[in-house]
Amino acid sequence: MSNYFNTLPLREKLNQLGVCDFMDSSEFLDGVSALKGKKLVIVGCGAQGLNQGLNLRDSGLNVSYTLRKEAIEGKRDSWKNATENNFAVGTYEELIPEADVVINLTPDKQHTSVVNAIMPLMKKGATLLYSHGFNIVEEGMQIRKDITVIMVAPKCPGSEVRAEYVRGFGVPTLIAVHPENDPEGKGLAQAKAYCVGTGGHRAGVLKSSFVAEVKSDLMGEQTILCGLLQTGSILSFDKMVEKGIDAGYASRLVQYGVEVITEALKQGGITAMMDRLSNVAKIKAFEISEELKTIMRPLFQKHQDDIMSGEFSRTMMEDWAAGDKNLLAWRAATGETAFEKTPAGNVKIGEQEYFDNALLMVAFIRAGVELAFETMVEAGIKPESAYYESLHETPLIANTIARKKLFEMNRVISDTAEYGCYLFDHACKPLLADFMKHVEADLIGKNFNEGKDGAVDNRTLIAINEVIRSHQVETIGAELRKAMTAMKSIKTV
Amino acid sequence: MSQPVVHITHLNLKYHHTLVLQDLNWTINPGENWLLRGISGSGKTSLAKAIAGQVRYQGDITINFNPESSLPPIVHYVANWYQFKDLEGQSNFYYQQRYNKQAVETTATVKAELEEYGKKHQLQFTEVEILLEALGFSDLKDSTLIQLSSGEHKKLQLIKALWLKPQLLIIDQPYNGLDKLSRQNLNGLFESISAAGTQLILISNDKELPAAIHRFAKIDTGKLVEIKVDDHLLETDQVTGKQIPEFLNQAPVSSTGSVISMSGVNISYGDKQVLKNINWEVNAGEKWLLQGHNGSGKSTLLSLVTGDHPQAYANNFQLFGYQRGSGESIWDIKKRIGLISPELHWYFDPSATVKQSVISGFFDSSGLFCEPDYTKKTQADELISYFGLVDEQHTLLNQLPLGKQRLAFLARTIIKNPELLILDEPCQGLDQQQTQNFNRLVDELCKNGTTLIYVGHFESQLPACIEKRILLENGEVKSVEFKNQTTY
Repeated sequence: MSNYFNTLPLREKLNQLGVCDFMDSSEFLDGVSALKGKKLVIVGCGAQGLNQGLNLRDSGLNVSYTLRKEAIEGKRDSWKNATENNFAVGTYEELIPEADVVINLTPDKQHTSVVNAIMPLMKKGATLLYSHGFNIVEEGMQIRKDITVIMVAPKCPGSEVRAEYVRGFGVPTLIAVHPENDPEGKGLAQAKAYCVGTGGHRAGVLKSSFVAEVKSDLMGEQTILCGLLQTGSILSFDKMVEKGIDAGYASRLVQYGVEVITEALKQGGITAMMDRLSNVAKIKAFEISEELKTIMRPLFQKHQDDIMSGEFSRTMMEDWAAGDKNLLAWRAATGETAFEKTPAGNVKIGEQEYFDNALLMVAFIRAGVELAFETMVEAGIKPESAYYESLHETPLIANTIARKKLFEMNRVISDTAEYGCYLFDHACKPLLADFMKHVEADLIGKNFNEGKDGAVDNRTLIAINEVIRSHQVETIGAELRKAMTAMKSIKTV
Repeated sequence: MSQPVVHITHLNLKYHHTLVLQDLNWTINPGENWLLRGISGSGKTSLAKAIAGQVRYQGDITINFNPESSLPPIVHYVANWYQFKDLEGQSNFYYQQRYNKQAVETTATVKAELEEYGKKHQLQFTEVEILLEALGFSDLKDSTLIQLSSGEHKKLQLIKALWLKPQLLIIDQPYNGLDKLSRQNLNGLFESISAAGTQLILISNDKELPAAIHRFAKIDTGKLVEIKVDDHLLETDQVTGKQIPEFLNQAPVSSTGSVISMSGVNISYGDKQVLKNINWEVNAGEKWLLQGHNGSGKSTLLSLVTGDHPQAYANNFQLFGYQRGSGESIWDIKKRIGLISPELHWYFDPSATVKQSVISGFFDSSGLFCEPDYTKKTQADELISYFGLVDEQHTLLNQLPLGKQRLAFLARTIIKNPELLILDEPCQGLDQQQTQNFNRLVDELCKNGTTLIYVGHFESQLPACIEKRILLENGEVKSVEFKNQTTY
């Protein structure tokens, strides 16, 4: 197998990278009819598998689960999940031959072996559904030509997919059809019906391509979402301890600060986050984040280049072959950092204090979001996709840090994301060594406004506001957020 | 003479910009146990929270604990609302979650929860066993918090409070969701805790009270007034005499003669069987009362009817004439049903206003997620006016007193004039007048051929139209009766 993306001519590369369409709700009026009466067989029954299956069945579709023989005989958690909710469970041999749609919800790492095992059993003209395109795009898995290959990827954890569905809503979802495998032209209709079945159509659906999904997803998770949050958290904590700030306070400020700060991001983008700072602090945070962008830009570009060329997945797959040697070593090392090992102190930190005393974190987040977005767009990814994979997901990942720090973040994200996160973190920290030498406690740990009279130059303030607000991630973000909030709650009545 | 335990003078308190307590005075002497009454929204909960030091107020509240008592010198307030978190510290739950099984549990077990509570307050574990036994909770120790019904959560709150034995115990709506036997046993526990030195303030409009309660008061226009035990409350008359909106006067669209047809329905979790061989036929237009002790399986039975239970797919039954699991979606089922239950209320979208909540009844969603059309908005306006909620329509639902939240939910339940009404303890938290008014409204609606399934633990508070009763006991149908065969 060879990297699919690298086999494409440049024109086709750009063509597939550029698929991005925020779908109108009128596109879903056919409901689940394209899948009605069809046999849907889900491979794997973890959090995504179980919860998507519960939703699909509650939407009137025929759902069963296929697991490996060992999982069934050993009555593993996946078997319990399926049987305790009264789903039929069978081996690949028993269920795949009858399936109209096979839904592969196993972890990335298992895709090649799973697909190799099920493909010969699939009937002619069946559909294979992925929720992530790595196997097709990076590993270059070739699927039999009579089979339709689609992707439906809910952009939330499995538990949320279920919770929002039964509330009568859904979670934002990305769909795609693989152009090499759409022999009957039914791929899009089935992907849309699947979205209706899981409730995604109520929350906003982005039509993408396998290529665009993989290249933007990898870039987002490695840089701003996980990598930079990890680097920023560790450096901020270490700096506070170095400057004599109580370690318990420092631990709490970082752990919960990322969540509080990115909540502003979620509500109103970089603009809203920066506006939470006083004028003097905002100017300072702007200056520092510009400096950070200059220092880190080459690293962001290197990650994007390695993702585009396939270098990243090549080295990661080497590590898979080596039994995850690097991944496990890096995971252990992260667990040993001082930030990870210092529990949050029993001190009360007010909501505004998380901004005033953590100006450096705000600067890190602005720099990271803008850099990730800019780098993706330069590489040919559409701004809407780039927005989702940078700004939109940052608060979701920050929530996991608030729960149980970096351990929790790295537990929740995929192994692929975790691997990329460590790569970024290990390269980023040395890159910032000089910069960090000049950071004082007023940037992280103490209130920046203290001892300052707050006076600013009008023209400077106007100029930086203009730069922040007119950035493309802000203009595109304002539009997409508006579309999503309109669906989530109706404030007009 | 010894000092009063609680001495309140010139208390003024605002609840969301409205002055609810005005220049209130109250003296509670040692050894006294009080009952506090009042119509919905009169300020009972605010007063309790003020005594417990949980809200801001103006005026003076002095608490004098008994230094010689061995009981903890604290005021413990048990809210009318329960809260818990999952193992991650989040509480983003949905009401159907207790029926969805996950191999990895996300919430603590009752046992773990009690162990942590006992450790925190340095309590003896032998003592909690007696309480668990008395409230029929012993079998629930291995259940997780998400699996408990609202009545069971209420009991867990009560168990914790009674175990703690504070010098002053204030309980807001102690009897909500409790069956008759549990209410009697609870009163027994109140007797013994008060004999051991804990003073009680119960906030309730119920009539069956422990004998230890010997002083009675109500809040009337912001002031405390002492009353006799059987004094009638001065009720507001918000609904009586009002015409029900015209759009609810029409017969609901009903497509089938048989609404529910169950034969040999079983539900079990592992080794624990919660419904055993249920046979039940409900025909269009029938008015049913569903009764049974706490834990008898009522909620589980209803969850099968409302499309909320995954095990519905493994059982043989028909809803609205169709075999369950033959290609219908849960939304096809829900659109024929108007549902209210304590769990639906508890897990509802906290960011919804009163009006959004009412309109969401058209879509069967726990919150409003789409733009309603003009007719729907107009009908919502009519119902909001009917239930006297015009001034509160843009307020967040969860910022209203419990009684008013309930009224909004009742409006949500009936707004689409459904062919089947499932009212699971609809009047929890309402005062007697509101309960009577609502039950009269149910009678009115049901004249047009609506099918009704009503769950209520208080036998004196039922709609008149009820004609049949199904009684569950330990997951089995104990009896099915016509009204003229018995009184209930």
